[in-house]
Amino acid sequence: MAGDSAEPAKALEFKEKGNKCFQAGNYTEAEALYTKAINYDPDNPLLYTNRTLTLLRLRLYTRVVSDALTSIALMPENMKAYYHLAQAHIALGRPSEALASSRKAHAFCVEEIHRGGKGASSIGPITELVLRCKKEDWEEREDVRLRGREGLLGEVVEALGKGDSVEGTRGKIEEVRRVFDEAGLVDREARRRKVPDWCVDDITFAVMLDPVVTKTGQSYDRSSIMEHLKRSPTDPLTREPLRIEDLRPNLALKAACEEFIQENGWAVDW
Amino acid sequence: MTFATKRLQKELQKIHGNLPPGISLVSAEGFDEWLLDLKVLDANPIYLNQTYRLKFKFSPSYPIEPPEVTFHKTADRPIPMHPHIYSNGIICLDLLGQQGWSPVQNVESICMSLQSMLTGNTKNERPEGDEHFVANNRRRPKDIDFYYHDNTV
Repeated sequence: MAGDSAEPAKALEFKEKGNKCFQAGNYTEAEALYTKAINYDPDNPLLYTNRTLTLLRLRLYTRVVSDALTSIALMPENMKAYYHLAQAHIALGRPSEALASSRKAHAFCVEEIHRGGKGASSIGPITELVLRCKKEDWEEREDVRLRGREGLLGEVVEALGKGDSVEGTRGKIEEVRRVFDEAGLVDREARRRKVPDWCVDDITFAVMLDPVVTKTGQSYDRSSIMEHLKRSPTDPLTREPLRIEDLRPNLALKAACEEFIQENGWAVDW
Repeated sequence: MTFATKRLQKELQKIHGNLPPGISLVSAEGFDEWLLDLKVLDANPIYLNQTYRLKFKFSPSYPIEPPEVTFHKTADRPIPMHPHIYSNGIICLDLLGQQGWSPVQNVESICMSLQSMLTGNTKNERPEGDEHFVANNRRRPKDIDFYYHDNTV
């Protein structure tokens, strides 16, 4: 669509100006400058991710979504666009879409770590975002479940009330209410459950999203062991030399953590 | 919320009413400084009937960076006698130094290490050069390159 009219040099000029405004916290001005840059070079995916970041600050979330999708269409392996898209979806109350996008951002980030790219420093915030999405997604499912049960109680009580014999019906209705009540208590009790140690990262004490294992057999979340290795290339338990390349994904534990959070979204903020 | 705050919130939840014997939390108002009391549990005559106070200071990047841990002197909380503890409360312990620290350590594990360091000690003395060190040191404890020469005490 840009055809021959694209002027990347001019676009770059406006982008630089936009960056300066963004850094100064002048987001409205930055947005206008990025828009000019995009007009000069509409096929450059990176200009759109500059604008999505600005739009996130301006809380213009539906525009973040459309810009992020444009950027992804131009460049499918687009960690930043998926990262911004997930944040916008969360803000718009669409957690399951947010979760899908944040997972993509995480996967691209891990690939970039293996290639030694500079996106590696994003693993911390992206991990946090995926967990946040999982929690929001769980809360939405939990809401539906609880509302469904209230509806069920109403229906059962109504059906009982339609019965012919009046004596005995009242007792049954009371019994049904009591049983539903108790189930609710059990639920609340369950929510106070402890997070099992096997899914907790020993560095952040948070639930693991992407466990990786060292040769000691101990697993850590990829984001927190990376943070440690930046400071000290040693195994946290033995202090022997440890490099990023020595880490191996722990797929079974990852699946177990995944299943645990799926059922216990509250654990993200235990 | 910083890296440190999130982890310390969880540590606090874990240790609440759940610390090993001889270790108790005195205050953890914010997430930059905690105070804990420490007692030696066996009949070691050097530490009999005494309680010691530990001060933990956390940087925003704890536990990637070690906390600063010192003994804190008050009217009824002396500084314990030990060949690795200076009379101003600075502790020479490798796991608290830049080199020896590991992020899998935590407040509870540090307290337990210090407790066992006292329990196993038989020398009722200060480190060599204590007076000179206390009079002249201006560095933060974690920046001091202690020479961990003697791991038997």
